[in-house]
Amino acid sequence: MQSIESKILYNDMLAEGYFRLGLEWKTPRVKAGHFVMLRVSDGMDPLLRRPFGVYKVIGAKGSASKGTGIELLYRVVGRGTSILSAKRPGEVLGILGPLGNGFPSPRKGLKVVMVTGGMGIVPLYMLASQTGGILLFGARTKKERFLLDGFKGPGLKVKTATEDGSMGTKGLVTALLEKELAAGVVVYACGPLGMLKAVSRMCSDAGVRCFVSLERSMACGIGVCLGCAVRSVNHDGKENRNYKMVCSDGPVFDGEDIDWELL
Amino acid sequence: MGTPLKKKLPKKPLEVTIAGIKFRNPVMTASGTFGYGAEFAPFTDIEKLGAIVVKGLSLYPRQGNPGPRIVETPCGMLNAIGLQNVGVDDFIEKKLPLLKGVRTHVIANIFGETIEDYMEVARKLDGVKGVSALEINISCPNVKKGGIVFGTDPQEAFRVVSAIRKSTSMPLITKLSPNVADIRVMVKAAEDAGTDAISLINTLTGMVIDVEKRRPVLATATGGLSGPAIRPVAVRMVWQAAQVAKVPIIGMGGIMNANDALEFLIAGASAVQVGTASFIDPDAAVKVAVGLEEYSKKHSVSMKDLTGSLKLA
Ligand SMILES: Cc1cc2nc3c(=O)[nH]c(=O)nc-3n(C[C@H](O)[C@H](O)[C@H](O)COP(=O)(O)OP(=O)(O)OC[C@H]3O[C@@H](n4cnc5c(N)ncnc54)[C@H](O)[C@@H]3O)c2cc1C
Ligand SMILES: Cc1cc2nc3c(=O)[nH]c(=O)nc-3n(C[C@H](O)[C@H](O)[C@H](O)COP(=O)(O)O)c2cc1C
Ligand code: FES
Repeated sequence: MQSIESKILYNDMLAEGYFRLGLEWKTPRVKAGHFVMLRVSDGMDPLLRRPFGVYKVIGAKGSASKGTGIELLYRVVGRGTSILSAKRPGEVLGILGPLGNGFPSPRKGLKVVMVTGGMGIVPLYMLASQTGGILLFGARTKKERFLLDGFKGPGLKVKTATEDGSMGTKGLVTALLEKELAAGVVVYACGPLGMLKAVSRMCSDAGVRCFVSLERSMACGIGVCLGCAVRSVNHDGKENRNYKMVCSDGPVFDGEDIDWELL
Repeated sequence: MGTPLKKKLPKKPLEVTIAGIKFRNPVMTASGTFGYGAEFAPFTDIEKLGAIVVKGLSLYPRQGNPGPRIVETPCGMLNAIGLQNVGVDDFIEKKLPLLKGVRTHVIANIFGETIEDYMEVARKLDGVKGVSALEINISCPNVKKGGIVFGTDPQEAFRVVSAIRKSTSMPLITKLSPNVADIRVMVKAAEDAGTDAISLINTLTGMVIDVEKRRPVLATATGGLSGPAIRPVAVRMVWQAAQVAKVPIIGMGGIMNANDALEFLIAGASAVQVGTASFIDPDAAVKVAVGLEEYSKKHSVSMKDLTGSLKLA
């Protein structure tokens, strides 16, 4: 973990409201599923840093996680991301990271199935490039297709579902997952809460291990403010109220450990 | 006669003494914003701090409130953590040893839901090696008194601080809530009960509403406001407290840099605490200390002489 001032290498618009941000960072030691806290403005408003998943390490050789920088993908949804989108190459941003636990590597012999919704695709890029497997890509329309650009991995197969049917199967990505659930599969998912909840339930019913990457509003990103709590299930049944911090215990959790009803 | 000679700067111009304890500089971290201290070691030199104030400790571990627990506000944030903590026993056994050998003071912030709870936590910490003082968070609802907050009723505040005074020989700092009409009454109550110092302010109660859902954003509806948004209120309250206080004051509320800290010192504080700023920059408190040193050199003034040096027309 480091707190550094990093130079912006590029901040390119990929599509209306979507950006690709390159940040200089010599030895990031990033693992798939890690995130960073970015200081988007030097002023007092907005005050807090914003969390973003690491899309990839740039300048890395092979699958080694060392490189010359990191790339983030973000969507403009509010003030912080809008300030970020106006930043130019050469400007400097504060990064805190790499943070979180990251995705656990799949056990040998297991077939990897990744499920994403919208920007949830971000932390899966690094995982896919290492493990390959099947990527179930969920989007609203085919306009989000660019999110798949450059996605690669050993023998990676991509299946798409769009809500309006403009690309791939019409409907929710969870319908695609139904067909993939079988013994010998491990699922990794990131996306909207409703999707993660459904994925987790389906996996649980099918007896398939599933790892989900969660989002919560964050202030510190390092487990000290205790602001990003999610309710977890205690398997020994002793304590009925138990919280985990998304930033420091997660953001990746075993779906079985999350109390989806009381989240 | 000419102008008086510039006062000679003492050898350690940043050092301050509060409740009989010498602090290398007047900058501490605020409870609940610095974990149990060791979490910040990767990002900042914690030995450059005057003191580390740890997360509020209760008799038993507490799970805290459901989420959402935080929301950003203009120049600040609301939190409703619900005082989640590992409990005083685990703190002593597991967290405190992580700071062993670290050359700075550790102050344990404590709270309870009954006077007996407060006393028991204080007793457990009495004489524990590595803890220099106790900071009593009285912004907590008294369950036996139907939830009225200890920190908003001077009689309750007096009762809880007196009881703790009898349970421990450790230096006591009473941390005051700003959610009162007249802070001076609370200062007097804490002093009469035997506190060695006062710290203020804790968070101001606030609320944010999601207009689409017509629901409060926080699961508990209201939360505590912190950050630069509250600074002018905090400076005013420290100034008012300083008019009546006989014991030293530790000021806080929205301190982001040395300039902000100086406002508190000049208003009458002997030391300051840095809270929310540590989330934005984990090195913020140390930077405040560095900035105070620069000011001290530039103006040839010690921290002690700066305290309460406000000039009024
Ligand atoms: C671990 C983690 C990883 C993330 N990775 C990415 C990423 O790779 N790419 C990306 O584009 N975004 C990512 N996000 C979400 C991103 O942090 C938010 O979109 C961003 O903080 C919004 O800031 P803002 O100031 O623009 O919006 P605000 O003005 O703060 O909010 C605008 C709107 O966005 C909503 N919003 C705010 N924060 C979040 C959030 N955390 N999740 C969902 N909605 C939110 C608000 O409720 C509000 O409706 C991630 C979040 C987390 C917790
Ligand atoms: C997330 C969070 C948790 C806090 N927890 C505690 C606590 O456990 N005990 C306490 O006395 N004060 C607690 N506080 C209050 C701070 O110590 C401080 O009084 C307040 O935040 C004002 O300072 P600031 O504006 O610099 O943050 C907490 C504040 C925040 C933001
Ligand atoms: S964001 Fe502070 S504990 Fe997770």
